[in-house]
Amino acid sequence: MEIDLSEARQTFVTESIELLQEMEGALLRLEGSPGDQETINSLFRSAHTIKGSSGVLGIESVERFTHAVENLLCKVRENEIRIDKKIIEVLFECRDHIQVLVDCASSGAGLSQGLLSREAELVKRLGSCIGGRGDAPDKTTEKETSGAEAGEGRLAATNAWHISIRFNGDLFRNGMDPASFLNYLAGLGETISITPLFERMPAAPEMDPEECYLGLEVDFRSEFDKKTIEDVFEFAREGSVIHILPPHSRVEAYMDMIRSLPEDFLLLGEILIKGGALTQHELDEALDMQKGEDAGAEQHKRLLGEIMVNEGMIYPEVVDAALERQKLSQASRSKEARTMRIDANKLDSLINLVGELVISGANMGQHARRLKDGWLTESASIMSRLVEEIRDNAMRMRMVPIGETFSRFNRVIRDIGRDSGKDIELKISGGETELDKTVIEKINDPLMHLVRNAADHGIEMPEERASKGKAPKGTVRLNAYHDAGSIVIEVSDDGRGLSRERIFKKACALGLLSPAQTPSDSELFRLIFEPGFSTAEQVTKLSGRGVGMDVVKRNIEALRGAVDVESDGRSGTTVRIRLPLTLAIIDGFMVGVGGSSYVIPLDMVVECVEFSEAERRAANRRRYMNLRGEMLPYIRLRDFFGTQGQEARFENIVVVRCAGQKAGFVVDDLYGEVQTVIKPLGRVYRDVKGIAGATITGNGKVALILDAPALMEGAGGGATASNLN
Amino acid sequence: MSVASITESTQYLTFKLDDEVFALDISQVREVLDFTTLTKVPRTPDFMRGVINLRGSVVPVVDMRLKFGMTKTEQTVNTCVIIAEITLDGEKLILGALADSVQEVIELDPDQIEPGPRIGTRLNTDFIKGMGKRDDEFIIILEVNRIFSSEELAAAHAAKDEVA
Repeated sequence: MEIDLSEARQTFVTESIELLQEMEGALLRLEGSPGDQETINSLFRSAHTIKGSSGVLGIESVERFTHAVENLLCKVRENEIRIDKKIIEVLFECRDHIQVLVDCASSGAGLSQGLLSREAELVKRLGSCIGGRGDAPDKTTEKETSGAEAGEGRLAATNAWHISIRFNGDLFRNGMDPASFLNYLAGLGETISITPLFERMPAAPEMDPEECYLGLEVDFRSEFDKKTIEDVFEFAREGSVIHILPPHSRVEAYMDMIRSLPEDFLLLGEILIKGGALTQHELDEALDMQKGEDAGAEQHKRLLGEIMVNEGMIYPEVVDAALERQKLSQASRSKEARTMRIDANKLDSLINLVGELVISGANMGQHARRLKDGWLTESASIMSRLVEEIRDNAMRMRMVPIGETFSRFNRVIRDIGRDSGKDIELKISGGETELDKTVIEKINDPLMHLVRNAADHGIEMPEERASKGKAPKGTVRLNAYHDAGSIVIEVSDDGRGLSRERIFKKACALGLLSPAQTPSDSELFRLIFEPGFSTAEQVTKLSGRGVGMDVVKRNIEALRGAVDVESDGRSGTTVRIRLPLTLAIIDGFMVGVGGSSYVIPLDMVVECVEFSEAERRAANRRRYMNLRGEMLPYIRLRDFFGTQGQEARFENIVVVRCAGQKAGFVVDDLYGEVQTVIKPLGRVYRDVKGIAGATITGNGKVALILDAPALMEGAGGGATASNLN
Repeated sequence: MSVASITESTQYLTFKLDDEVFALDISQVREVLDFTTLTKVPRTPDFMRGVINLRGSVVPVVDMRLKFGMTKTEQTVNTCVIIAEITLDGEKLILGALADSVQEVIELDPDQIEPGPRIGTRLNTDFIKGMGKRDDEFIIILEVNRIFSSEELAAAHAAKDEVA
């Protein structure tokens, strides 16, 4: 039977992209704190999952390469290789390569020769990372930087627990079986080695078959805390000698344990080395150290004290650190369980339906009031309040925090810094600010442009910064916050700022300004969003080609947002993007033209004025009017839409502002503000100019939403409008 | 001679435009609504009569009479909107079509259906899937995907540009 894997493949791609995202985050964290075991683990897990699922789906290219990466990560995780800048760099590049491979797999494209040779090169570099340092002695000098385990003395490199048990002789008589403990233990983690000890076993004649002479040395890897592991031996504790050493215990702790046990010192030492709890090097060094110290009674006393410490578990830092780590991984696990993936379409249709519910609820309320039935009115109002709450909740489901998008730029900044030799830091704030998922998807590209611009143009070279008296490290800041029903995203840098003179010169050269004009800062700076406008003296691979800012502006305006720039010559540039919270609902202003209703997005409406008789008479000759001394081009919607029927006796002009320009729309009636759920008109009407969508009004009719920017293009060239009909 | 593409007996919804009886494959019909208020989308050709609110979705409605060269559909008590599901470039699309009156659902065997005539109808013959025979009556079975194909809609856009 052929199984359809295309869906599974799609899931694989989505999942891989998330995992690669996680890998990137982990790598960035590792750069900051190279020894962090938890981060290394998460890196390993991500790579491992990608390898696993690509294997299941038979995506060989991904599996093969990820396997090579995993090999290195495995060594790093086992502390056989110390992670350093070079390895991190290789891993970054490998991560990118996996992404390329996944993309290829999702599009079904084959691997090009270039990709293959790139892969070969990376595999070679991975190999050299593994081979070149495999047996380097520095693994024993591994030192945890976390601080939590900063006990005196050397820490063992192992990340496994070591458990040493000498069972109570009465174990069998109490009806217990040592094997069951081991079985239970196996459920808590991964058993690395078990070494049974029979040293206590007497010669056959003296042996009591009911007596338990068994001892065990177990090396064991687990995420659980000491308490849990200890509880495994709860029933055997009485009369048994049990030592449990957490991962990365001090080497002395192992020594002390060995000494406190009846068996031969060297035998136990060997077992520890074999099980991986200690390395030969660690053991030798510890032995030397002990020999160097004063022998005799004093030493014995110290030892005893240590043993007590050991048995009494007085390593609170170690325990705490382990607990903390466990809590973290538990938290992330439970978080995973609490979220679920939903097809965006299902959510959209839910929101759609709820929108309808709001409208029909309002409708019912109207009827109830007309019937003057108190009870009915009451019920209707309660219901519509509930429905509105449901709507808000449904809308909130679409909202996601912007932090994830922001943190992607860590990598961008890092790479730009590395390529250009600048020292740049990305500071993120307001990452918890939520906005609509579709908006987030569409804001990514514009943000990328802006962040690159800031890092590439804005931030100066370290020397230049130093000469200006600034800190050599430049800062790019990403910030997001809610402001009156919209969300504001700021991209700022503390670089050289925009140069007034250069922009002015360029604007004159492009014919946007005449040299005689003296525009204000904000007017001037706004020009950088014009097509073809770049003042960078040098075109780099990142920016400076003069495309970008106008694309940024266009993209943001397509989201019904606005962009603004602020700068002074010293303290850098701030680009501020203002976006609506959601794309699905807007505040609208409803107008009527010849019996049809139209909605204009409210945030574009500036004012409404009467379309006077005199202006109406003049309308045959010109398509602009005098609005308090200002020239206002206008469109008569009735003409533009070719509306049939009797002309209205009175007409009004709605003045709208969009992209810094004003224009008037002549309409018959003004109905006022409405909350509008935007409905797409569908592909049949895809190319209709001047209409952005539709909405359903309280009485169940369809009203059309005007595409003000498109209409205003028409108003600018007034001739097009007057040629109608 | 029967139509090659029709091999099984199928149910058809019959309706009237003017005095002629037409039919649509029932599997493409979602529901039949009473005529409701239409909102005309400006700068679109006349046969695109506008959009209606179908339980929260905005659905375009076409006037088949205009499309087939008859006069514009006038609203009477019998006027209906047939909501059909058509496939356009591999995408499903919901569309409403105006009919003077909806008749009944009938079942036709393949041998009751003949290919459409090359001449003798006012319709573009591309739109006809076949001619059903029932008693002494002819029923024009429409190829709904063809009527609203992308070329036809492109023609709609061209017409719109003329208006502009």
